[in-house]
Amino acid sequence: MKKKRYAIVLDTRRCIDCKACTVACKAENDVPLGDDKFRNWVSEEPLRGRYPNLGQSFAPSQCNQCENPPCNSVCPTSATGITAGGIVTVNPDKCIGCKYCMLACPYDARYFNEETGVIDKCTFCIQRIAVGRIPACVETCPTKVRTFGDLNDPNSEVSLLLAKNRYRVLKPELGTKPFLFYLI
Amino acid sequence: MSRLIDKKLSRRRFLGTSTCALATATVGSQARVLKALAESGEVTTSKVAGSKDVFTACGMCVNKCGVIARVRDGRIHKLDPNPDYIKSRGMLCARGNAGVKVVYDPDRLKYPLIRAGKRGEGKWRRASWDEALDLVAKKMNAIAEKYTRAGVMFASTEGTFQEHFFLQMAECFGSPNTVRHPTLCLSSNIQGFSATYGTFPTPDVLNSDYIIMAGANRSEALITPDSIDQLKGDGGRRKLVYIDPRFTKTAAKADEWLPIKPGTDMAFVLAMIHVIVAEGLYAKDFVETLTVGFDKLVPHIKPYTPEWAEKECEIPARDIRRIAREFAKAAPKAVFYPGRRSSFADDDVQLRRAMAILNAVIGNWDTEGGLVPNSKIKLQKHDYLAPWYDDVPERIDKGSAVFLSEKDGSWTAMRDRILAGKPYPVKGMMIYKQNVVMSVPNRAKTLKMMDQMDFICTIDITMSDTAWYSDVVLPEATYLERQDPLESLSGILPVVAFRQPCIEAMFESKPNLWIMQNLAKRLGSEIAETFDFTMDDLIHHQVSKNPKILKDLKSNGVHYMKVLPTYGLTRGKRLRTKTGKIEIYSANYAKKGLDPLPVYTKHAEVPAGKFRLLVGRNAYFTHWTTANNAYLHELMPENTLWLNTTSAKKLGLIDGQKVKVKSPVGEGTLKLEVTDKIRPDCVYMAHGFGVLSKGQSLIYGVGACDAALIEEKLEPISGNVAMHQTFVEVSPA
Repeated sequence: MKKKRYAIVLDTRRCIDCKACTVACKAENDVPLGDDKFRNWVSEEPLRGRYPNLGQSFAPSQCNQCENPPCNSVCPTSATGITAGGIVTVNPDKCIGCKYCMLACPYDARYFNEETGVIDKCTFCIQRIAVGRIPACVETCPTKVRTFGDLNDPNSEVSLLLAKNRYRVLKPELGTKPFLFYLI
Repeated sequence: MSRLIDKKLSRRRFLGTSTCALATATVGSQARVLKALAESGEVTTSKVAGSKDVFTACGMCVNKCGVIARVRDGRIHKLDPNPDYIKSRGMLCARGNAGVKVVYDPDRLKYPLIRAGKRGEGKWRRASWDEALDLVAKKMNAIAEKYTRAGVMFASTEGTFQEHFFLQMAECFGSPNTVRHPTLCLSSNIQGFSATYGTFPTPDVLNSDYIIMAGANRSEALITPDSIDQLKGDGGRRKLVYIDPRFTKTAAKADEWLPIKPGTDMAFVLAMIHVIVAEGLYAKDFVETLTVGFDKLVPHIKPYTPEWAEKECEIPARDIRRIAREFAKAAPKAVFYPGRRSSFADDDVQLRRAMAILNAVIGNWDTEGGLVPNSKIKLQKHDYLAPWYDDVPERIDKGSAVFLSEKDGSWTAMRDRILAGKPYPVKGMMIYKQNVVMSVPNRAKTLKMMDQMDFICTIDITMSDTAWYSDVVLPEATYLERQDPLESLSGILPVVAFRQPCIEAMFESKPNLWIMQNLAKRLGSEIAETFDFTMDDLIHHQVSKNPKILKDLKSNGVHYMKVLPTYGLTRGKRLRTKTGKIEIYSANYAKKGLDPLPVYTKHAEVPAGKFRLLVGRNAYFTHWTTANNAYLHELMPENTLWLNTTSAKKLGLIDGQKVKVKSPVGEGTLKLEVTDKIRPDCVYMAHGFGVLSKGQSLIYGVGACDAALIEEKLEPISGNVAMHQTFVEVSPA
């Protein structure tokens, strides 16, 4: 079987900022309480225009599972690694909590978990993928903003979405090669 | 730290503040999984061994979505959506996911409590169930003896699936004075649409090409499946016009946002009808064959021109005209969305009548993309023979509204009569999970009513403000710890929901059936006999005519008959109105001295220097029940007062400062949020804060309570309360 390369495609036009993804992720991944502890998030983009001509977008995001992750190269203990499927993970036995990776990540996708003493981040719910399920944020979303799948499979939903639509990635100029794709 | 509520700041900038690794004894299970991953290079599935997945139904709000509870080592770890649950399109919102924190909430009620200090002082002593229930029965009997059985009122929440037992208790105890939430919510909406169609239909949002939502904030006040279906996201033909004095998240998703002047929606609707009738855009065959009273509508609607409406509702006449034409063009796959909570103004029934008539003239009844009558899956009812008592008077609020529901009553009318002691005294309150102190407008009045009670007993899962002011507080098991009766949920695609216990009930909490059964035993054999069944007996009785229901529930967590809507089932049949047709003109209303066609009335203008207080929802909270939930609290740790940028400038107020809000009935202090997202003549605050109970530890002392400020007005046809007719002053705190 061909090697998998996991990705998430987001259609933010569908996002209503209900934060189901954020709470689902916290519960699924035992992310500690605290409003600075999270693996995914939804930002309210600044309000456009002046009353009464207004517009607003919402921007859900998480770790980009970069092909070239800056967090990986700065890790002094090789705790950060890339596993099968291209998912960037932190090995809690090797992590010393130095937070260099937090500084290096251009997407602000990592946080320090004080309960475990190590850095934590989105893994596309690797524990769910292992048993054939999709990430919690993808599954729970009321309006189905996110689609998860294998980009190495040309018939997967994510591949088809990217083939049919225009899209962008975040901060492409940094050369990180992100695997979160935003439909335009 | 960058925060969830303000992700603009980077977490990285604040590294210095918490560099010390505070490893604790508790190891997050995710770390364990990753440890396994690191060891083997692959994730093992052994982590899920010994776990069980339980089908159940969410209990966090009115929608009751399908849930699969993932239980690990006897602990509910995660609540996932049931993909087969068609009503919610297989999703679970933030609140649904936060359900785990309801069970494992340190603020949960754990044991029966008996008040040890003054009411509201917060001094309690732990009691056994025997002692607590003995006391409740004694007090109920004493009140019944001194006054009548009507002297005990029963206030109930809805949708826990166990409220039926509470209402059964009220009936068997012999009190006519039950009161529920509709007159704080949608009773005027149900009345207005039912008077027209004989039923309260569901809009077929999924298949509609043109939707107008007025004050129905579906991106935040989530209703399944509408909140999901409102978005197509494919750039298709769907158009959503959204009317609201606030720029909500629904406004952000809509094609058009019209910041209407509150209280004038009827002008907008009547003007739309005017255009559709005057320009001959109505569904002529439909109107002729399926409605009555169109001939009377034509002259009635004549003066309601878009130009007239513009002066009332502040939406340009050209926009009203254009929207009316677009709406009629999209018909019948167009719908003026009925909405849910309709406690807006004190003529709300007539507004809903106008909305119903607008839908009728374009002929969208019982057709794809229009207004569809609900289907429901039949379950067998639990029948019981309630004891008969002589000398019990009629409901205390009888006659307070033209169409008063016998079971729901009218909350504020009832409260006024209890306070007046007329026509008779009500001196006892039995409360099942309704937080009357937080929910009924004019909190001071509710507290005054409670002050004059001889006895108050509240059943809840947490120390609500109402429990805080009670004499006995009984802890119910949460929805994730109970087997509930099956519940048939109506809709275009009806389902039967299934709630089974995921874990054993914690502490000494008990399901409401157990509480009612054990109270009934103390009230006498006649009442106890009506409760002589087990939950198993009841469920088997419910499905006795269709055992497949239970089979489906056990294998899929949901039962449904169809996955695609069926339209037109009412065609050729009489509707449940007097004439059997859609009643544009209501002879029934005329007979009762009400306007048979909706007549526009002007409401009071906002006085100079004041603002209209608006009530609204957000996607993180269900009324008062979730602001203290640990997961949801961090999404919105306090409420703010929205004030328009221009208005704030005039008052010299700045974003983030504390302000005092004062109404004729109360006041509150909270943080100011200066924003363009609201009309300059309105202010808004989220519900759920400004609590009185110290048993809500995350939010006690935070924010302000809207119920303390709202001056209640009564909608006289349905008995609904009007919540948008309070004017407040805003000043620096």
